[in-house]
Amino acid sequence: MKDRKSKIFKVLIVIISLVALIATSKTITSPARVKIVDFLAPSLKALHSFLDSAKNILPFASLREENRLLRERINLLNRKVEELKVVSSDNDRLKELLNFRKTMPFTTIPAQVIGRDPSNWSNSLIVDKGLDGGVKQNKAVLSTKGLVGRVLEVGRYSSKILLITDPNSKVGVMIQRNRQGGILIGSPDGRCKMIYIALDSDVMPGDKVITAGFGMIFPKDIIVGEVVKVDKEPGRLYKSAVVKTAEDLSKLEEILCIK
Amino acid sequence: MYKIARFQIYLILISALFLQGSILNYVKVFGAKPDLLLIAVTFFGLFLGPAAGLESGFVAGLLKDVFALDFLWINAVILGLTGFIVGTINTQFFKESKRAFFLFVFFFTVFSMSLHYVIVALLPSSVALGFLEFFMNSIIPIAIYTGLVSIPICVKLLSVYNLKEAEDYL
Repeated sequence: MKDRKSKIFKVLIVIISLVALIATSKTITSPARVKIVDFLAPSLKALHSFLDSAKNILPFASLREENRLLRERINLLNRKVEELKVVSSDNDRLKELLNFRKTMPFTTIPAQVIGRDPSNWSNSLIVDKGLDGGVKQNKAVLSTKGLVGRVLEVGRYSSKILLITDPNSKVGVMIQRNRQGGILIGSPDGRCKMIYIALDSDVMPGDKVITAGFGMIFPKDIIVGEVVKVDKEPGRLYKSAVVKTAEDLSKLEEILCIK
Repeated sequence: MYKIARFQIYLILISALFLQGSILNYVKVFGAKPDLLLIAVTFFGLFLGPAAGLESGFVAGLLKDVFALDFLWINAVILGLTGFIVGTINTQFFKESKRAFFLFVFFFTVFSMSLHYVIVALLPSSVALGFLEFFMNSIIPIAIYTGLVSIPICVKLLSVYNLKEAEDYL
């Protein structure tokens, strides 16, 4: 009897989730999810800080393990040197970010990455700034090297960024050299592809890809990446090109949200 | 009652989610990272049956749905179904060998990712990515990577929980 009830309960769960999926499938944004992530944002931030500290300390732990006979004083000094290196590299990176902000024609809000997408399908980031920090939905997100994506879900204290490498992302772009237009789409493996390039265009590897500025989200002329391979499939009306993003999106730590 | 306490199942799933959302992003190979949640769901389905497979898959999928930027519920449905199917066929194979782990995880990664693509293609949003391209560039590398990573994880889980093939099936 209990077994039967449990089976019915499980079938109900599947049916309810299917119905919920269909009901909420008009958009990938969800207010309920925003609230949950917002609630968990402080924990995510704490975990991120912990990981950051672990990255600095773990090499020392193994070093201590391997060199147990070394004096503690030397270990401490080594650690100090490494900590200073980390501080110095943080300093350089933040200075670069600050200089880049000064040269931009629009106001930006810096934010720190506190979480990444756990799935293999989508590519997104969770950052530590939300409505309270001035972040707005559907605004472009940049790094010092180029376009990163756009803000898709905004909570009070956190936001989710849809990266340009996400399969749901579509960005109007063009080749800087010949102003040839196309659409940039993402792929779950983290690569980007520029599609709908006219057959007679002379796109070649090494060409810089920039935003076209169509629509209201992405400002014009922001560097997106570089063409690495051009494909011309037989029977197709358009060419496509594999684009390497200007920024390594898998290693981003800070981003800039356009206000 | 499962052979592994519910609390421990959920703890394993939350740990897998945390690892997948943090450290594993730094060990990507050809853009692929192993799907620890899928490994866990396949393991629970294989050794605890369809009910545990469905339950753990549903919970794992829902956890993914909260932190990913994807259609809400989609991962809950896909992983729930995957866990249930794994659990349903769990008596028909000898599953304690390393090769079996690899094959099960490989096959169910291919299954769940293909199903994901099909569902998204059926939903009102448009997917500009072709299935063949997605299959070759994403599904296959992820399935191989996840399959390989599953071997030490499943061996460890088996020894920790002392799970054995039921004698009736041998």
